[in-house]
Amino acid sequence: MKRALAISRHELVSLRREKLPQVLLMVFILMVSVSGLIGWLTNTTVSSVWTEATQTGLTQAPNPFENVSPLYYSRNTVIYLVLIGALMAIVVGVTSTMRDRKARTIDLVLSRPISVVEYLLGKTIGVAIFLAAALVATGLISWVSISFIVGKPLGFQDTARLMGFFGIALIFLMAFVLLGMISGVYASRETTALLIPISLWSITAFVLPQIGTSANPVSLLNPVPKVSVPGGAFDALNTILGPLSVTEQFKGASGWLLSNPEATGDFTTSIFVVVIAASLGMLTLLLTRRDRIRGALND
Amino acid sequence: MTNSLIIAQKELLDLRRNKFLIAVLSFVLIAVVISVVVSATQYGVKLDAYNMYVQSLKSAGNSTVPPSPQLYPLQLLRGSIEYMEILGALFAIVMGYGIVAKEKQRATIQLLFSRPIGRFAVPAGKLIAIAVAWFVAVTIIFLSVTLCVAFVGNASFNAIDYQRLVIAAFTTWLYLIMWSALALGLASWTTRLGTALIIALVIWLTVVLIIPQIGDTMDPDNQVPGGLFKSLSIAKPDELAVLAQFSGFDTARNGLEVSSVTKHFERFTFAFLGIKDKFNQQPLGIVWAGVWNNALSVWFAAFGAVGFALLITTRKKLLRRT
Repeated sequence: MKRALAISRHELVSLRREKLPQVLLMVFILMVSVSGLIGWLTNTTVSSVWTEATQTGLTQAPNPFENVSPLYYSRNTVIYLVLIGALMAIVVGVTSTMRDRKARTIDLVLSRPISVVEYLLGKTIGVAIFLAAALVATGLISWVSISFIVGKPLGFQDTARLMGFFGIALIFLMAFVLLGMISGVYASRETTALLIPISLWSITAFVLPQIGTSANPVSLLNPVPKVSVPGGAFDALNTILGPLSVTEQFKGASGWLLSNPEATGDFTTSIFVVVIAASLGMLTLLLTRRDRIRGALND
Repeated sequence: MTNSLIIAQKELLDLRRNKFLIAVLSFVLIAVVISVVVSATQYGVKLDAYNMYVQSLKSAGNSTVPPSPQLYPLQLLRGSIEYMEILGALFAIVMGYGIVAKEKQRATIQLLFSRPIGRFAVPAGKLIAIAVAWFVAVTIIFLSVTLCVAFVGNASFNAIDYQRLVIAAFTTWLYLIMWSALALGLASWTTRLGTALIIALVIWLTVVLIIPQIGDTMDPDNQVPGGLFKSLSIAKPDELAVLAQFSGFDTARNGLEVSSVTKHFERFTFAFLGIKDKFNQQPLGIVWAGVWNNALSVWFAAFGAVGFALLITTRKKLLRRT
């Protein structure tokens, strides 16, 4: 364990020096910071539209945002996690396992009394600490901005829900980190290592949900999961492919945690799928053979 | 020019031998075909539901039959166009980046410049290769989806539909060249290849995903499932009258959207393919009058990116050591 922690410390130092994860992290934090503002601006406009329509006698329907939770303002964070967060996680994962192979320092590291499991576990712990720190920062930003918008500190229950959401977000991001790490171990070129998980991400985020729900790709850039169209083969396809779409399951779990009234689906299943995805990734990574992580690159 | 063509020929041979790139393009092809199949199936589901509804109306003795859902074949391409704007752009970056990165990594660029070649021979040759490669890829993709619409969607095309398809394919080709040229220019410009990939990916994220997503989020009508105005039972003319009171917000939202070339590409192709209801079944002249500014934006962006790649890709920049 001591050796794994030494590797994780080294991983953190290396991540601090890498530019790509840092740039993506900055974009992510920036977007989360402004997402509360965008949510507030839009909700205010919709409420004003409703007031205008009510005053001119065009509608008698209630204001759609009358009783929404303050957490509704941070609903766009979900989509930024699926878009920017997942890509950042893939880049961090690929970089993590590629670094030593690229610099050929992997032979030196493995000449020390350290097992492959300890080495890969250490790297995973290092990346998890990096992402956890990033999510704590974004969680704090979200908490402060929502409290500022509603004019009072967020209550205990909402704070707990927000913490739960960022907890699930960490597991979700770790699933993509591990996918990136596996790709970084098995790919023979750096570009391939990056593109295979990105392609898998696009399958998970766009292709699988589209087959199951008939939703167009751009409409999937929505913080809540799409529901299947009744009839045809969509119901059956969604039953089979739905659980495979980790991104849609994460949206489902997040929607429930952030009290999004549009959220549908079973919270327990959604959480289970996200946890299983991360666990499978961890298991696959830890089963890596010694000669595999020493493989030379073709670049 | 001869040197550029020789380089282009060499690049095309390289691209043909690049199994990974072919796998990636096949992936895009499969995604767009799946999208058409899904849309056609969804139309079938709608039609079945309509027939059942009509049947139940008839058995209840009601003689008023609602209009049947109409199939506009080109509207089935919506998902395919969206895949091209998201995944196509991403893989175009990979192609443009890779075409310079491989030369730098293998140090073959030194060998290339040991020959007596002109200032623009290398970038022009590479850009010609990119243009030819995307021409082939876009032709295959559009032919496949057209066949798919015809067979799976059981649709027939009019002569004007083919013209619409050619216009959409041409714009898609320009859009993809733009992303490849941008990545090529960045890979030549930066001392470290990794930095080029960082900048290209961040631009892709911002232009293709983030800006359109924010614009979509800010649209008041998208705030409620099924549409805000439908949920408030407000008719279209009244909706426009209400929205006129919030023109400042809508201008800001639209301003954000039009800062993304992807949105211009989407608006232009959606208009010509009739995906946007306003332009559906309209003569080409009317569609052009409505979206010529979007076409200009895509062209400017494409020519701008090609110009950037041509000017930035110099012997001095490519031979710099990291």
